[in-house]
Amino acid sequence: MPPLSTDHNAKVTQPQPPVQGFFASFFQTLTDVFKDKGIVLMLIIAPIIYGFFYPWPYSSEVVNHVPVGIVDKDNSDLSRTIVRYASASPQLDTRRFLDEQSAKEAIWADEIAGYMVLPSGLEQNVLSGKAASVSVLGNGGYFLLNKNVQMGFLKAVSTVSAGVKIKKSVAQGAYAPTAAQNAQAVPLQIVPLYNQTEGYGAYVVPAVSIIILQQTLLMATAMLIGTWYEQRRHQTSISGWLGRITALSTLSFLIGCFYYGWAFELHHYPRGQNMLGSLLFLLLFCPTVATLGCLLGLWFRQRERSMQILIFSSLPMFFVSGYPWPADQLPTFLQIVRWFIPTTPAINTSVQLNQMGASISQVATGFYALAALWALYFALLVWLRWYNAPKRRQVS
Amino acid sequence: MRLTQLSEAFIRSAAYERRFLHKNPWDLTMVVWIPLLTVLLIWWIFSQTQITNLPIGVIDQDNGPVANTAVRYLDASPTLSVRQMYYSAAEAEAAILQRDIYAVVIIPEDFSRNILSSKSAPLILQVNAQYGTHSGIIQTGVQAVAGTLSAGVEIQRLIKQGMAPSQAAIAYSPISIQRISLFNAATDYQQFLASTVIPALLHILAMVIGATTIGRELRDKQLGHWYGFIASAQAYDNLNGSISANISDSANISGNVNNNVADNTVQNIAALSQPAAKLPNSTAKDNTNQKPVSTLPSVHMGVLLFGLLGKYFWPMLAYGLWSILALWLATPQESVASSAVFATYLGLLLLMMLSFWLGAIFTLGSFSLRMGLSATGFISAPSYAFAGVTFPYIAISDSAKHWSDALPLTHYLKLHIAQMQMQAPVAISLPILYGLAIATVVAMMLTALLTKRALAHPERWGAR
Repeated sequence: MPPLSTDHNAKVTQPQPPVQGFFASFFQTLTDVFKDKGIVLMLIIAPIIYGFFYPWPYSSEVVNHVPVGIVDKDNSDLSRTIVRYASASPQLDTRRFLDEQSAKEAIWADEIAGYMVLPSGLEQNVLSGKAASVSVLGNGGYFLLNKNVQMGFLKAVSTVSAGVKIKKSVAQGAYAPTAAQNAQAVPLQIVPLYNQTEGYGAYVVPAVSIIILQQTLLMATAMLIGTWYEQRRHQTSISGWLGRITALSTLSFLIGCFYYGWAFELHHYPRGQNMLGSLLFLLLFCPTVATLGCLLGLWFRQRERSMQILIFSSLPMFFVSGYPWPADQLPTFLQIVRWFIPTTPAINTSVQLNQMGASISQVATGFYALAALWALYFALLVWLRWYNAPKRRQVS
Repeated sequence: MRLTQLSEAFIRSAAYERRFLHKNPWDLTMVVWIPLLTVLLIWWIFSQTQITNLPIGVIDQDNGPVANTAVRYLDASPTLSVRQMYYSAAEAEAAILQRDIYAVVIIPEDFSRNILSSKSAPLILQVNAQYGTHSGIIQTGVQAVAGTLSAGVEIQRLIKQGMAPSQAAIAYSPISIQRISLFNAATDYQQFLASTVIPALLHILAMVIGATTIGRELRDKQLGHWYGFIASAQAYDNLNGSISANISDSANISGNVNNNVADNTVQNIAALSQPAAKLPNSTAKDNTNQKPVSTLPSVHMGVLLFGLLGKYFWPMLAYGLWSILALWLATPQESVASSAVFATYLGLLLLMMLSFWLGAIFTLGSFSLRMGLSATGFISAPSYAFAGVTFPYIAISDSAKHWSDALPLTHYLKLHIAQMQMQAPVAISLPILYGLAIATVVAMMLTALLTKRALAHPERWGAR
């Protein structure tokens, strides 16, 4: 071990003078960020690129013209009517198949997303007042498509079915308009709130943006602190740490404004419902994440390690945030642990403020949670500083 | 002779890597434990396979008996739970904004009267469509309740008109629809999400490992040392020594880089010329007949290829094992043919290897571990969104489809869903397997070529 420890000593005895004051540290951090292209790439360029890149697959937003198959075994007037109605549906793009086997093969080959079978004897059963049914077979492997297939066929068949019913009622002496009204006794009117077009991108991108903001800021901060650790420049006073955190979160705040003000606008997502609240949220969110990044940097102690460890973590963090998957369906332990990640309160708070237009008092829990997280991270940072200090004196 | 040289390169490289992993707990964790934890974590997140009891509110302006029935039906629906009755729209809206509830069902004033007078009596569902998953499930649930209510009301009406109950049911709906979900019939989220998210995460991790395994040699300026070690038989005796030299170098990385740059170069040259000479406390025996290892002039492609395979042997072993676990978890209760499981496993293995090489290619191409990791993150982290599982491939915009097609994960997940969930014949997925195999071999060759190029440019080593 001797060569190693002399080496180590040599470095500690001549450390670069650490910057201590708030403003000195603030400007030092900004200078270091812009001198380091790795950090500029991660902190500024990457989130801007993602702002365009991530919404890209969803630009068509609503799923329409899903290719589906129809197997008509009846070949009657009635079955042809159903086929006609189904092909007229904007949700579906129909193709005929001779038998179920070929339809199934088309599903396996990803050519169609589902198919409907009109059994032989369908018309005869309906006319003679017997129970008649058609089968709609969707591909349960793909939820969103399956919903489209089911709803598209359902509409076509129920329209024809209602027509049959009305004809029968009228034949039985009912007045036609009354019969038509009766098609369903309790119809359901669905009013989608906030994301009124029910677009997929408008649903997922505002939430993922918060993950992107967090991950890029975490990686950049931990990379910067890790680099400083390698150079033994990581120690500073408490106000020095505050200066660093302020510098990093200022940059990230600007990126956040880019998302709120421009990226969402560009893709026509619902946005800006409570702009002041959203900005206040960013003012709290960015320092919280930056402080966590400082902690991680001190733990990782190496420039590249923040990326190695953090790249894969976005998806699990997203799934435990409660946004794409209801949080109370998670195992109890995860329901608690997830609160130690900033995105857990942040995604919901941001969406509630920016997309839904909640007032600040309505998202108070989110704000308190973020403030508590910031306090926790900062306390840990101060503790680490205190904990490492005596060791340093001993060595030198 | 040639063959022994190759197998020795493989074995030596694997031994070199084993020593490194043994001494570097961070890297060992990344290679072995994090992928295992990831597989288990994702499976655990989705362990409750169905979404149940989403909280909704009701505004009952009617208070008639049918309205009460409607509320009871809503609460009885497995996916819904009536959290609270509200008396004003403002109250309900506030509850939605606070996410106490995700939807409110409004029963209008004249609901019962309309039903009694045989008029259409609509229910109104206001749903928070910003929360797409919640909204979709609630819409289906409330729709089902409305359907049940309609049927009850109409059949009742027909019976009152003197129709027999069995006849009334048919008259209510002359053509009924049997909805069948062909595969994943129970809409099991663990099958759908967890079993596809796990390969996506293993893909990300494997690319990170691919970038790191070769990238740290570049960063630490040890690439030449590594090649010299695997290529020369003499160095084999000094395994212990050379590795520990390497370790101390890596330790220095966390030391002062400023000083280190100069240091490192010196050390590196020393390491290149006589690997064993500067061993701190080598257990190794006499190094007297140690010959200088000169690496740069002749790089043998075969040795390099087998050396790379040896270097990635441990990650391949670990990811191969955890892939078995991932597929074992993903195999549904209904029987999946063993040939289908085998084909999927083969696909997953190929995806893992391809990911290793891709990570390595991005790193070697840019001569920088950091750039390699950045590219890895950029490509792999959002690849699940492009893979067409949550948002269907058919609906992805045309330009984005090209990107989607270029991602190996898209193809693997197609194979995964076809084989594990749709019980498709293996023959249908064979083209994907061939494609992955070809891509893997090409990527491996490219990695070897780029490593050769990197060996020829020692002046570019050490980039951060």
